[in-house]
Amino acid sequence: MNEPVSEIILSAQDVAKRFDTQAGMLELFREINLEIRRGETIAITGPSGAGKSTLLSLLAGLDLASDGSIAIAGQNTHTLDEKARAELRSRHISFVFQTFHLLPELNALENVVLPLEIRGTTQATDRAREWLQQVGLGARLDHYPAELSGGEQQRVAIARAFASAPDLLFADEPTGNLDEHTGEAIIEQLFQLNTDQNTTLVLITHDNHLASRCDRRLHLHNGKLQEWPQ
Amino acid sequence: MTSGSLFKLAWQQTLSAGRLPIWRALLLALTVAIAIATLLAVLGDRLEQSLGRQTAELLGADMTLHSSRPIPQAVANNANTLGLETSQVAQFPTMIEAGENLLLISLRAINMPYPLRGNIVTQPAQVGIPEPGTLWAEPAVLERLSLEVGQQIELGYAQFTIAAKLISTPDRGNGFSNFSPQVMINQQDLDATGLLGPGSRVRYRQLFSGDPEALNKLENQLRPDLASGERLITLDSSNNINGGALNNASRYLRLGALLTLLISALTIALSLRRYTLNSRDRAAVLLSLGMTARQLQGLFLLQLLLAWVVCALAGTAVALGLEQVTLYLLDDLLPQPVPSAQPALYGLGALLGLVSLITLGLPPMVAMSQVSVMHLFRRSATPTTWGGRMLQLVAGLMLTGLLMLYLDDLKLTLILIASLLITAWLLGKLGAWLLRISAFALAGKHTLVRLLRLRLQQQQRWHQMQIPVISLLLALMAISLWARSDLLDRWQSQLPDTTPNHFLINIQQHERDGVDQLLQSYDLQSQLYPMIRGRITGLNGEPIATAFTEQQRQHNALNRELNLTWGERMPAHNRLLSGEWSSQSDGDEVQLSIEQEFANTLGLALGDKLMFSIGSHTVEGSISSIRSVQWESFQPNFYVIFTPGALDNMPVSYITSFYASGEQRKVGNQLLQQFPTITLIDIEQLLAQARSLIGKLSDTSGLVMLLTLLAGLVLVFTTLSQELDQRRYENALLHTLGATPQQCQQLDLLEFALLGLVCGGLAAALGEIALWFIHQRLVLIEPVLHPGNWLLLPLAATALFTLTGLLARRRVDERNSYQLLRRLG
Repeated sequence: MNEPVSEIILSAQDVAKRFDTQAGMLELFREINLEIRRGETIAITGPSGAGKSTLLSLLAGLDLASDGSIAIAGQNTHTLDEKARAELRSRHISFVFQTFHLLPELNALENVVLPLEIRGTTQATDRAREWLQQVGLGARLDHYPAELSGGEQQRVAIARAFASAPDLLFADEPTGNLDEHTGEAIIEQLFQLNTDQNTTLVLITHDNHLASRCDRRLHLHNGKLQEWPQ
Repeated sequence: MTSGSLFKLAWQQTLSAGRLPIWRALLLALTVAIAIATLLAVLGDRLEQSLGRQTAELLGADMTLHSSRPIPQAVANNANTLGLETSQVAQFPTMIEAGENLLLISLRAINMPYPLRGNIVTQPAQVGIPEPGTLWAEPAVLERLSLEVGQQIELGYAQFTIAAKLISTPDRGNGFSNFSPQVMINQQDLDATGLLGPGSRVRYRQLFSGDPEALNKLENQLRPDLASGERLITLDSSNNINGGALNNASRYLRLGALLTLLISALTIALSLRRYTLNSRDRAAVLLSLGMTARQLQGLFLLQLLLAWVVCALAGTAVALGLEQVTLYLLDDLLPQPVPSAQPALYGLGALLGLVSLITLGLPPMVAMSQVSVMHLFRRSATPTTWGGRMLQLVAGLMLTGLLMLYLDDLKLTLILIASLLITAWLLGKLGAWLLRISAFALAGKHTLVRLLRLRLQQQQRWHQMQIPVISLLLALMAISLWARSDLLDRWQSQLPDTTPNHFLINIQQHERDGVDQLLQSYDLQSQLYPMIRGRITGLNGEPIATAFTEQQRQHNALNRELNLTWGERMPAHNRLLSGEWSSQSDGDEVQLSIEQEFANTLGLALGDKLMFSIGSHTVEGSISSIRSVQWESFQPNFYVIFTPGALDNMPVSYITSFYASGEQRKVGNQLLQQFPTITLIDIEQLLAQARSLIGKLSDTSGLVMLLTLLAGLVLVFTTLSQELDQRRYENALLHTLGATPQQCQQLDLLEFALLGLVCGGLAAALGEIALWFIHQRLVLIEPVLHPGNWLLLPLAATALFTLTGLLARRRVDERNSYQLLRRLG
């Protein structure tokens, strides 16, 4: 008997992506099949230009596949219009970026409050404060991004991502802009929070060390996505 | 997201944007646009109202009906039923006697209420109109007849007591005879004087004032039935020198303001484009945090509204300040107090600003809200979508609409927009080509030129936009500067210091030589023109009724007696436009020289034959030349000049004007002593007023120029900021390839200098063409070259580019080339 569908938070079936270019049709990848369960940590690796970011955009419902189907929390993204997909993302997905992308005019607390306010969450400030305390920035709530170090900024970004209690968290090279030591600490925190919150983490990275810490490692190469080690 | 938190976020975002130079440029441009639009609306309204009131005070009423016959009581009754106030005036020239002295005066007999507009000022102060048996006389009458207030004087058969000196009065009437010193009596005394007899040249006026709608109604009733010898004068049709000059000035101010508005609109559009491009990351982050595209648009719309509130307050405040300065400058030219503007007009600039901001802001905002969160993972330019293009089209149409409202002329608006677009396109292409060939010419002279050529190629798209913008701006500024000074020169040359300040009229044939000798004995330059009054009765053998169209028949010249003259030579201040000046008749055929505008309006051409009725005679003449006349020159001017001999044996008087200063001014008294019947008009005061008006108006236009300059500087900065990121990226790339910071700076300087030279050169050429057109077609003066332009504009443009470029470049962080490459790449 199959496992309950609810356990699979993200699935992709026979997904292909093609682009119309001047030189003709370019197929970036095809026959991508993937099932990600709640609470898993997944690393997607691959050489530059393999299409990692494009795959992320499809998995996160930001773009639609040329062929195949992708379901987020059981909902097929192909059957939804842009507005419904945005709503789906808003309910289930958060992002952490390489360059943090905090709003410079908001202090740490306000940056974390923002997604909660957008979603209309009650007691947004209290929840945001708790999250900043969890990432060790309880004493720096009213500091602006320019007054924080790179590592601290990324921690604010992580708090912001977790604050809205996502089912899926996509992180694009989250340590790419940090030194090794800080990067290590950030990753530690990310994995810890992921475990605590039972969130599903999808990481895009070049860093083999980081990839090796994930439950599963998927390698995108020559248009194929393969479990690593095979 | 609640609207409260959206507003809070917009507020924080707006405050944060205030630190960005591009946002500041937007605020400054919007403030300038709002200020100039408000100022123009408010000032225009106040000046127009003031002018209307001034004219009404000159007329003594809102409308007057002039007639050579008594005006039937029915007209007054009709006006009364419409709720209008009326009053009747009779005025005519007559001689006044005091002892052995005689003086030609203009006698005005009036009824209560009088005047309907404006005030009569007397010394000692009097109320109403002269009591029966008394008169009020202008100081010139008393001085020339050596009389005092309180003395008795004879007017015809009646005796009057001089009750007051008439210091100033509206409704002096028009026509030369009314330039004579005036005396005012009560109409009840008129019959007793016995001055109204056959042959007396009485002009009657019915004055009307009251509700504009009722006036309009009355005008519509009266105008179709105007008999020959009757004229209806309304505020619009009444002319005075200040009105003409103010209209010119207001047109010039509007032109200046239009430039400022266009420049500001361009700055707003470019800075919004830059700002929204810069804000794409922010937009993508907000989308990634769950915001919908609609909320995102709402957020940026709120930000625009907040900016608008700030600029509306600042712009309106600036306009209020400038309004006060302008009114202060024009203080003594306008009747006090100056009427207030309609309150709604104070909000007009702000409203215009809001419409422009939303119109110009929507396309980039909508484009920005379509950014994908993917932008944060993989940088790519957000393509301009069909919706964006559609919105740009709508924005273009709305701006065209606004421009049309402003100019109140669809054809002019379309021509203006089409020529701007075509000129901009041509300038862009031409400029880019000039840049390429300059770089080609410089190749081998400098090691950096190879890189420069690469740079020019990379920046080609921007150059094609910057070159037209900057060249057009510089050209427009040069044009408005030169047009102003050329126009001022024209005004000044029109009224040089030696502009005649005295008019002599009513010089009889037998007095002519005596007057001429007396003037010569005072070294006064003057030419005596014979003057005879006549009426046009036909054209090429046809009567007026069939020879002219209905519109042409409205022309003044066909509805009243004209002052005609003859002469061997053309008056020195006239210019021959076509045909040949005839100093004598061609056989039996009388030759005529006519004035250009008169010829155009009545559709007259060389060879046409005009028929005149002069007294009991009829004279026909053939048009042999067309002249231009400077009506504002204070010289005797004539629509029609006959060849000598044609008007012999007809009753003629002479007219002249001359400039007298210092000792020469004594000629006035001597003339009046020796020739008591001639009329001397001293126009020194009128001229001083006209001269001061011109000076003050030029100060006022200077204020508008200042705003245009400010708007222009912001625009230059904005266009240079457009490419800043690209430039940073290229410099960072060059650094990583081994170029030194000095080399990068030199490359930038070389590019800016070349760009400045090209823009300046194009602006100079464009300015010269436009000025030639303005001179030739609009202000009708000889076109002149402006060599200063060719030197100053390239220099100014180069300095402008280099300085602004360096200022913008200062922000390039050269130490982090690699990071910059990663961030911007």
